[in-house]
Order: sequence, then structure tokens, then C-alpha cells
Amino acid sequence: MTEIQQTPDAAAENGRLITEKDIRRNWLTYYIVAEMGISYERLQALGFTTAMIPILKKLYPDPEDLKEALKRHLIFYNTEAVFGSPVNGIVIAMEEQKAKGEPITDKSITGMKTGLMGPMAGIGDSIDWATLKPIIFALAATLSASGSIIGPFVLLLLPLIQILIGLRLSVYGYRAGKASIRELLHSGRIKELILGASTLGLFMMGALSSTYVKLSTPLQFNFGGGNEPFVLQNILDGIIPGLLPLMAVLGLYWWLNKKNQNFTVIMLVIIAVSVIGAVTGIL
Amino acid sequence: MEMLAVSIFAGLWYWICKTDIGYAITHAIRQPLFAALPIGLMMGDVKQAMIIGAAVQILYIGLVAAGSNLPADDCLAGLIAIPIAIGSGLTPALAIAIAVPVGVMGVFVDQLRKTVNVMFVHMADRYAEEGNTRKIVLASVVYPTALSFFFRFPIPFFAILYGADAVNNFMNSVPEWLIHGFSVAGGLLPALGFALTMFVIGKKELFPWFILGYFLVQFSGIPVIGAAIFGLCAVLLINYYNNRKNVEG
Repeated sequence: MTEIQQTPDAAAENGRLITEKDIRRNWLTYYIVAEMGISYERLQALGFTTAMIPILKKLYPDPEDLKEALKRHLIFYNTEAVFGSPVNGIVIAMEEQKAKGEPITDKSITGMKTGLMGPMAGIGDSIDWATLKPIIFALAATLSASGSIIGPFVLLLLPLIQILIGLRLSVYGYRAGKASIRELLHSGRIKELILGASTLGLFMMGALSSTYVKLSTPLQFNFGGGNEPFVLQNILDGIIPGLLPLMAVLGLYWWLNKKNQNFTVIMLVIIAVSVIGAVTGIL
Repeated sequence: MEMLAVSIFAGLWYWICKTDIGYAITHAIRQPLFAALPIGLMMGDVKQAMIIGAAVQILYIGLVAAGSNLPADDCLAGLIAIPIAIGSGLTPALAIAIAVPVGVMGVFVDQLRKTVNVMFVHMADRYAEEGNTRKIVLASVVYPTALSFFFRFPIPFFAILYGADAVNNFMNSVPEWLIHGFSVAGGLLPALGFALTMFVIGKKELFPWFILGYFLVQFSGIPVIGAAIFGLCAVLLINYYNNRKNVEG
């Protein structure tokens, strides 16, 4: 057994090797390096392992154990770094138990990581990137639209909020353990949170589409004589305002929902359609 | 001189931001809106830089990574479009016309990076076998960062230093229909971002909320922040009533 560090920290009273400060440091390191070595083969594996190094060195003084632990974490890993933070806490708790000699296999640690990374990424993507980011960025762009320098600083709210969340959630993961995270994932509270964020996210996508998507047609027909020209856009506006931008968003949404879409291709098609539309005078 | 300074800044900024150090920290500071501030200070026209930065930013508000692939390079788009637009006195609409194709090209650089980084993963495997933690950190953080300098820095650096005149000449000689085409694309591309975000959210049964937000703004013309306040309050209240019903039921 390794020597247990005697600190006044509550963690030491439970005979734990790891302090909550270690957990927060681990997550913050992961937050900083997560995407730096990102690759198609294993995505965040390098970043996750790098963040684990101080913990693993503390837990495994035997070089052979350390090697095994490092190899264990170099497997494919990818999640949303903020709402994936409980995984960091749980992994550390499991590694700690393992270092103490509990029968925890490599497979159970890997299984926990791969089992939780998907659901946590799903939560993080809908809250952080699909709700929080567009609201903050739209607010920032609006504030600077007439030349103010406030906008850029408003953008920084995104990382600030994320760091505050991650520092808490990582420690929560360590304390609660994997059973409670699974429970939480199936509990009403997390479903409520996702439902609320998704609702606000979709509502905001509507508001943002309405404000920022621009599409209109200059088409008009002259029926000769002294008649007023027939302006298509006026007719469309008469039916319902904002019909064309709405059709554009819905059309793209429908397209994205078909399997295996290449986003770059969609983008190039949008540009091509725009240019062709401009040449022919339709758009 | 001024353009040289901006070129060097843009090259360095592109390199540092696209190492993704600090997750959303670099995600925030790499935005066209953020880069506009230092560019404006260097070029002596902060106000115009912010106006152009905000206009280009609109393209990328709803940009969300589906499966870790971003469909456009918001960073490169702003770093090249803003200085050229200020330097040549172009309108925000023309700045968007430059940003759109540049942002698409940047995606290929991102793909190149994720491909070459595979090399460092295998390096890290070897170092793990040796139990050498210092070298694992080198392979995870230092090497990818150092290597990316060579394919990040030159792109905005040369584009601004030598491209400004070329773009300016091009913009003067380019047919009206092409400029108009790109400006149509500039109005349409935010739609891709928003559609993508809806796709990531999933939850098709909540779709009426999208329609609600869309027509609330269409008919009332309230600003985005106003819509956000209404939306947030509605969600919180619905949540409260639901909970109360569950407790009572």
C-alpha cells in the first residue's frame, strides 16, 4: 500500500489519496488540453490522458502499474468537455479504488468511460452549444452591430459559465460515483433540464432564424399596359411574413435529417444555389 | 507596415486559436467579432472593424459541431475578411462575400490537422509503453501545436499581405451578379447554422417552439434578447407547473 497523505482535507479522513483540489485541477487541465491533440483516430484520448497523468502518478508509484494505467486511458474518448466532467470525477474515483487494491478491471473503467461519454455529450451539446452559445453570441453580435466594443467581451461569458459548471460537476462525479450518475441520467431532474434547454434552444433558433436569415426574391412580372407590375415578394409577404427564410431553414433541417450528410457539401450547394439564383434573377 | 502587422497578428491568432487550447476560451476569442477588436485597433478604425466583425459573426452564430466536425472555419473567415474589408473600404456585405468562401476552405485545414494528429496518438502509445509521462504530454500538447504552426500561420498571413490588393482588384472587376450571389449566400448561410443546431437538439416533438420563436419575431420585431427573456420565462413557468402537477398528482 502506498502512504496515505495526511492533510486536513476531508478526503484524507476517508483514507482517500485524492483531494477535491486534484479533481478540479484534473478537469481544468482536461478543459484546456482536450482538443489540442484531437485526431480522427481517437479524438480526445490524448487530452484526457494528459489530464490524468498527475492523478495516475500519485496513485501508482510502481512504474508497471503506471504504464498499464496510461495505456488504459489512451483509448478512443470523446465527449462534451463541460457536461462530460462527471466522467473525470468517476474515473478518478475508480482509479483510486483500483490503486487501493479493489478488484476493478480495466474493462470496467473503459466501459464506464465509453458508456457515459455519449449521453453526457448529448446533454452538453444541447445545453452548452445549442442553447447557451447561440444566445450569448447573438447578444454579442447585436451589441456590436453599430460599432460598440462590448460584444467581444460578452463572448467570454461562454467559457466563464462552462468553467463554473465543470469545476462543480467534476467533483460531483467523484463524490457520487457511477451508480448515481446513471441514476441521475434516468432521473426526472436531468430529463427536465434537457427538455428545458431543448425547448429554449428550439425557440431561440426560431427567433434567430427570423432575425438573421435573409432571403427574398426580386422577381416581378409586367403584364403590359398601364398595369402595376406583379411583384412576387409582395404576394409572399401578403400570405405570411418571412415565408422564404422559413422555407430555407426548414429545407436545410429536412436535408440534415437525412442520413450521412456532408456539411461542406451542403454549404457549397447553398453558395451554388445563391449564385445561380442571382444570375437568373430569381434571388 | 500596418498591413504587415495585421498579417502577422492574423497568422499568430489563427495558429493559437485553432490549437483549441482552453476549449470554449479559444472558441470565443477566435470569433470574427472578437478578432475585429485587435484588428480595428491596429488599423486605426475600431468602429468600422466592429461593424464588419458583427456582420460576419452572424454567419456563425448557430454553428455547432455535429460529431465534432464544424461545417465552416469561423476563425479564418473573420481574420481574412475583416482586414481586407477595412483596408479596401468595402461594405459589410462585401466582407461577408469574402468570408463565405474563406470559411469553407478553412474546413479542409481542420481535416488535415485531425489526420496528421493520428501520428501523435501512435507516438503516445509508444511512450505509454515506456511509462514516460513527460513525452506523452509532448505528444499530446506540444508537438501538435508546433506542427500546426506550419499549416495555420501562412494562410491568413499571405492572404492579407498579398491578397488584399488582389481581392480589391478582383472585387472591382468581378461581375455584379457574383457579388450579389455571395451576398444572397451570406443571408442564407446562417440558416444552415440554425438548422444544424436544431438537428443537434433533436426532439422533433418540440418543433412548434421553433415556429413560435420564428413568428413571434416576424410579427412583433422584438430584438433577440427580448425573445430570449420571453422564452426563458416561458420554459421556467412550464417547468414549475409541471412539477406542481406531479407533486399534487
